[in-house]
Amino acid sequence: MTSALSYIKPNTWLFLRLPSKSLKILEIKPNTIIDAGKLGSFPSNLLLGRPYYYTYEILEKREDEACSRLRRVPPSELNAEIVNEDATPNESRGEPTTPSGVPVAFEMTEDIAVETKTNRLTVDDANRQALSQAEIEEMKRSTAGKEIIEKILANHSGLDEKTVFSRAKYLLRKRNKYLRRFMALPMDIGNIITYITEKEPHRILDIREEALGLVCAWSNAHVTSVELDNNDTEASSARSGRWLVVDETGGLLVAALAERMGILHKTELPSEGKAEPTTYGTEAHDTSDNNDGGVSLRPETAESTGAERSIANGTPKTEHVHRDFPTPAHGNTITLLHPAVQPNISILKYFGYDSNTPDPAHPMHTHLKSLSWLQLLHPEEDPTYREPEVVPEAQLTKWKSGKRGTYWKKRRRWERCKNIVDEAREGGFDGLVIASNMDPATILPHAVPLLRGGGELVIYSPTIEPLVQLMDLYSKERRTAYINLLAKGEMPSTEDFPVDPRLLLAPTLQTSRVREWQVLPGRTHPMMTGRGGSEGYVMTARRVIPLEGGVEARGNFSAKRKRTDTADATSAP
Amino acid sequence: MEHENRVVAALEHGQPPLLSKTTTSNPFFHTSSATEEGSLTILHLRRDNLVPVTLRRTADDGYAEGAVTNTRFGSFPHSTLIGLEWGSQVRASRVDTGSRGRKGKAAKQQDASIQIDNRLPTPDPQHDISNGCHTAAEEIGQPTRSTAVDAGSGFIHLLPPTPEAWTASLDHRTQVVYTADYSYVLQRLRVRPGSRMIEAGAGSGSFTHAAARAVFSGFPEDSHVGELKQVGKVYSYEFNVSRVGTLREEISAHGMDEIVQLTFRDVCERGFLFPIGFDTTPHAEAIFLDLPKPWEALRHLTRSSTPSESALNPDVPVHLCTFSPCIEQVMATTAYLRKNGWTEIEMIEVQNHRIDVRREQVGLKNEGLRGVNASAATVEEAVARLREKGGPWRHIQSKAERLEKLRKEAEERKLYKEGNLVHRTEPEVKTHTSYLVFAVLPVDFTDGDEEACMQQWSVDDIMKVEKPPTNGVK
Repeated sequence: MTSALSYIKPNTWLFLRLPSKSLKILEIKPNTIIDAGKLGSFPSNLLLGRPYYYTYEILEKREDEACSRLRRVPPSELNAEIVNEDATPNESRGEPTTPSGVPVAFEMTEDIAVETKTNRLTVDDANRQALSQAEIEEMKRSTAGKEIIEKILANHSGLDEKTVFSRAKYLLRKRNKYLRRFMALPMDIGNIITYITEKEPHRILDIREEALGLVCAWSNAHVTSVELDNNDTEASSARSGRWLVVDETGGLLVAALAERMGILHKTELPSEGKAEPTTYGTEAHDTSDNNDGGVSLRPETAESTGAERSIANGTPKTEHVHRDFPTPAHGNTITLLHPAVQPNISILKYFGYDSNTPDPAHPMHTHLKSLSWLQLLHPEEDPTYREPEVVPEAQLTKWKSGKRGTYWKKRRRWERCKNIVDEAREGGFDGLVIASNMDPATILPHAVPLLRGGGELVIYSPTIEPLVQLMDLYSKERRTAYINLLAKGEMPSTEDFPVDPRLLLAPTLQTSRVREWQVLPGRTHPMMTGRGGSEGYVMTARRVIPLEGGVEARGNFSAKRKRTDTADATSAP
Repeated sequence: MEHENRVVAALEHGQPPLLSKTTTSNPFFHTSSATEEGSLTILHLRRDNLVPVTLRRTADDGYAEGAVTNTRFGSFPHSTLIGLEWGSQVRASRVDTGSRGRKGKAAKQQDASIQIDNRLPTPDPQHDISNGCHTAAEEIGQPTRSTAVDAGSGFIHLLPPTPEAWTASLDHRTQVVYTADYSYVLQRLRVRPGSRMIEAGAGSGSFTHAAARAVFSGFPEDSHVGELKQVGKVYSYEFNVSRVGTLREEISAHGMDEIVQLTFRDVCERGFLFPIGFDTTPHAEAIFLDLPKPWEALRHLTRSSTPSESALNPDVPVHLCTFSPCIEQVMATTAYLRKNGWTEIEMIEVQNHRIDVRREQVGLKNEGLRGVNASAATVEEAVARLREKGGPWRHIQSKAERLEKLRKEAEERKLYKEGNLVHRTEPEVKTHTSYLVFAVLPVDFTDGDEEACMQQWSVDDIMKVEKPPTNGVK
């Protein structure tokens, strides 16, 4: 898992960060050519096996070759360039600047003393650049980026009038424009968010990395280690570590939670070569040999739940893992509730899991269980949940193998569906995480009762309004009214109480926003511009088991306290 | 008892105690089906008032009900808390807190009569909490337990511990790294189950718990972890001896000895390696520095041609975050990073706030009610009231009559769904916690490595002038 994020492996997705800071996504395949737009093109083989987080420069194409070669720019060289520029500032966040790293505070005062020029004399005139656009275009075809920049600088008549800072800015702009460099970044959740946010943020409900961080932390999603040598209540402990997820971010939320649970990345097998060019979907590690062609003729696969119960974590290694309808794992799992027939988890493909052609060796294959709202609420109306006819053994043996295969396939699909649905309806989930377009007030009445006591509820919303309304449904006043009605023996109406306000403890609404700074000697300040759009709000609460009957609060409520206290107390008069 | 002694001895030597499987049940990573004796439980009094307590049947503080936790919402004998479903709401009991027999030392140690989670045994021979012995102690040392009586008012909720709840319950030994910051830091540091990470400046242990949850990939002896999976670990360093002591006890009590290795050391001086022992280097993939001078610690976080001499994992890019409150610290840190081969250097601050949601009642009909704005809600309402006052043709209600009428009406109104639903930032905002500097140190890649790649991924064919298919770039 770790080395896959250190060196570029074949058939994986990765990002190239271009000088403009925008990300380009690509799936790297051996022996192909990567087209990096304006920067040029180069063979994929020149990136394979190379490390991430390095800057690569596309070199001038040689006469006798079909495309450009790459040069890995060592960090020391990036440093050296800056040092030569003599403390010129640099606003790019990635690139080194300061020549002498020691006590910057002193350096700062020195800088200011040296700096006497101001922009009083600056002339805003495009004609100060002696080179014409045509000449620059001509140079771009013939000369390397570095030389272009030098020439452009040499031909700028007003450069000496510029302040050190503005000269540095000018240089930086030119460098970003003419140096044909990119940085190779691994496929991970943070980079995906940056990439999608740039292009179509609504696809992931405008979720920012800071909001996702909050969601994951509050959801308490983590690897659940099941102690197998404990003979106490095997069934219940093997069932632990289950999170219920309502995800309409295309699988981003599922991916982030799965990462926390250790089921997002395929475990690298030591037998696999360091950079063996395998393709997904064609290999079947460790699956039993009679599991060929996706159709097993023997029913054991589905019936061996007893044996499988002992493996609640990690990828089941010795079991059958069926390609289409595997028996789902019991613990450390994500149950995904989706509004359509099939869940939209397209982002998972970047992590090697494609639900259309699933890789049986991927942990998501058994640890991700999906069910539709119809299956959860009215399973009897769902055709998949209806048990297919059981054919006696004697008759089966007379059937052709194809027909028999279809029969078992149907049975297996039904068993998997029934398994997931029944288990979900039983409840006992450790957490419920929601990022959905649906009104949360319609989700919670069904989903909150499925949480275990003390379980976590986390809801993300790009805008605050749905969560404000939801908070109001769980307000202290409403809860008090609800309890009073119950105490009087009346049934609270669903119109006034769409949700049972007693079931959540301390609902809290929060938002995080990251502010980026430019850090340079004498020029440290927050960035001047940033991204607008949805702020992103997170509501958290914990599922509790209310006492039957009225509960009276107690406490030292002085009159002054009372106003500021938003105590979670359920106060009944 | 013998076992407990082993734990104490191990703590003194700064080595993780070797605990047997049954005692390392970790309440953070595995929630039991119900509260049990010995369970670490978070008593939820109100949102920002959480009290961690280890449930016991017996205690030495002289209550007739056995162990009791007193809160501002009443007294809770542990006998009423054990064996319940997690998340249960529990009523307070009537406990005689005045006349209990004092036992001197042990009782005085109780801080504000709240028995904060403390697993280590007090040096009292009678006080034996190791498993299996409590029944005997009960019979000999204690009188018969009296059953708890419902107090009639006051309640709490019982919650299983999480790093978030733990952070919220911490007393402030040092500046605490709060959830808003650590959630972002762990996300950005790409900490995953199986990661090995360094945390220097463990402080109160808030980040430690969250990091332990993030790296946790199973216990080393778990059969199903197997050889394929790396076992995640947090290498934690702290140079304040009393904080080390407290945190060590907590880590041990929380069953995290195998996940968190806490070392008493000033990392700026002595670095991160361990001179003796099986594991001489953390081989970390992620680093979190919460130190006054992170750049001094960074001197010890470099790559080396001999992997055992570097605290960093040689095979992966190392992600770094430093947490400094002052801008001068940030400038010195970034200057150091820029000179020493780190890339992706970025400084940010996280601004988090919580939001209050309430219904605001405005209108003359609210006059005399509490927590409302009894001014006119509309022009019409204002005019109507003016008419009422000025018009000689109407019967003028006395104020007392009017208030009485309104109060009666209010009883019939559904105040919880009236008024405007509004939200605003909560009164207290942490406007600055610290500046976060992020950076990445890529792996070393030598000319030899480059040559090997050229061998494996030859470009000879593709460089020939006729063009092969273009790779799909979106």
